[in-house]
Amino acid sequence: MGNRSEFIYIVAAITGFIVLFFNVFPIINTFYWTDIHTLKEAMVNREILVSIWLSVKCASITTIIAFLLGIPLAYYLARHEFQLKSLVESLVDIPMVIPHTVAGICLLTVLSPRSPIGRFLEENHIETLGTEAGIVIAMLFVSMPLLVNSAKNAFKWVPTRMENVSRSLGASQLRTFFGITFVLSWRGILSGMIVTWARAISEFGAVIILAYHPRIAPTLIYERFTTYGMKYAVPANIILIFISIIIFIILRLVSLGEKERHDTN
Amino acid sequence: MIQIKNLNIRLGKFQIKNVNLQVRKGEFLVLLGPTAAGKSVIIESIAGLIPIQSGEIIINNREVTYLRPEQRNTSICYQDYSLFPHMNVRKNICYGLKFKKDKNNPQYQRNFKDLIGLLKLENILDRLPLNLSGGEQQRVSLARGLIGDPNILLLDEPLSALDPNTKASIQEELKKIHQTIHTTIIMVTHDFIEANYLADQVALVHEGEIVQQGYIKDIFQHPDSIFAAQFIGVKNIFRIDDLAEFSFFGLKNPGYIGIRPENIYIDLQPLVTDYHFQGTVGNLQNNQVYMEIECCNFKRNYLSYLTINRFFELELKKGMPIHFGFNREHLILIQSAEQP
Repeated sequence: MGNRSEFIYIVAAITGFIVLFFNVFPIINTFYWTDIHTLKEAMVNREILVSIWLSVKCASITTIIAFLLGIPLAYYLARHEFQLKSLVESLVDIPMVIPHTVAGICLLTVLSPRSPIGRFLEENHIETLGTEAGIVIAMLFVSMPLLVNSAKNAFKWVPTRMENVSRSLGASQLRTFFGITFVLSWRGILSGMIVTWARAISEFGAVIILAYHPRIAPTLIYERFTTYGMKYAVPANIILIFISIIIFIILRLVSLGEKERHDTN
Repeated sequence: MIQIKNLNIRLGKFQIKNVNLQVRKGEFLVLLGPTAAGKSVIIESIAGLIPIQSGEIIINNREVTYLRPEQRNTSICYQDYSLFPHMNVRKNICYGLKFKKDKNNPQYQRNFKDLIGLLKLENILDRLPLNLSGGEQQRVSLARGLIGDPNILLLDEPLSALDPNTKASIQEELKKIHQTIHTTIIMVTHDFIEANYLADQVALVHEGEIVQQGYIKDIFQHPDSIFAAQFIGVKNIFRIDDLAEFSFFGLKNPGYIGIRPENIYIDLQPLVTDYHFQGTVGNLQNNQVYMEIECCNFKRNYLSYLTINRFFELELKKGMPIHFGFNREHLILIQSAEQP
């Protein structure tokens, strides 16, 4: 038994090393492709900064919209059994299995002026294609399932009985939700928001179809790479890596803080 | 007074069928029955947590059938305590008060003091639920349920997750609380001994129906169905079809007789009990504090309990001839059509 588990640990160590190397080395290796001087220049390059700011802004708006739209649905799915529930859950997950450029084309068919929705938007002077709204729509489409699923699992973690006790003690459904359920599932929801944000900021395929311009950072990097090659793509790349990792760490720390708070409770 | 009239509930394939209950103010009713009989469904429906199909629920002369849970002034406590993990004991206990219209009523302050005294919670008020033992958590849960003077306290197997010592002490506290503050209580349990200790009235629940309701003593002495008899520990239940035999036992029609193992006497000499038989010793099983002995006669095999001492005195062995019998007062007659 001991030998067997040792063998498993050895395999886990080797494969684990491969996984981590595979994840981290390409990111680190990017730094060898540039020098500090070019990087400094890139950091004050208006075009790069504007595109990165656009990426961060659109991913954040996407996360907020996903939160507002996804939380009620996630709560309902976590608490209720109904016929066709698995169908609804599959529909929520659909964007995850569609290639992203394909998703972009699907969205384009809806938003183009040839479709009723696109026409309605156009008549009301709401522009989506080639605007920030288009970027957010593309990001939202691909990242929404992550938020709904994380929030659903977080809500499931809070026992229904706890809500029952709160209701029987006089709290309305809404006060129970905000006072008990949401407070206790906040950490899981926050983790869901992190992955939603990360998924949104990394989206490229669907975004370029709805809005090549204004250019988000991945679009700019792709454009620089195809037009000028590695030398011009890498500095923007590195800045985007830094910003993504910093925001990721901040959110992760908040989420870990929440975890510790729960654990000590 | 709590009245439940013709309550019907459907949850998937499971059904609560035509439940009628009446609990007087200040009374302690126990819903007793095996797992998955529907006991918890009944109390959750009283709290308004499960939608009902038809029927009426009246609490203190007010019909609450279609009111939301927060409008009924009931409170429910579960076996897993369901304390709010992000609140300390004090906040947990006082949670319900902030939703009360008369939240500043000094009565609630008095309730708080009384309850933390009765339930010995003075020293743990600032602790979080995570740092409490099971017994402490259940005490907090009871205090939280009682502080707002609910019309009715609903307890869903409150003692079943506790170790035997803690269970005994909380059981005692529960009894003391009921005697002190006279709250109407409906408790769910599958444990006859708990019911016996706590209940004024007992309702036996079986497959979504109440099969018998009454004082515990009456149910113990006169179970009126085979399920009831089996549930309260009557091991010997026999169908009597033969005309001569059912009148011999006092049955009016073919039916069942039941006899508790502890009420069957065994001796090597003829017995002077109302009913006595000759037979042989069947299987023997040592149950630590008593011996389970099968008494076989040509008609049927009775299970009997003997103290270990008495067992050694009689020097019983499998196959030995014995006399055994019981008295009329211990005979349970069940005029029931159901099969055991």
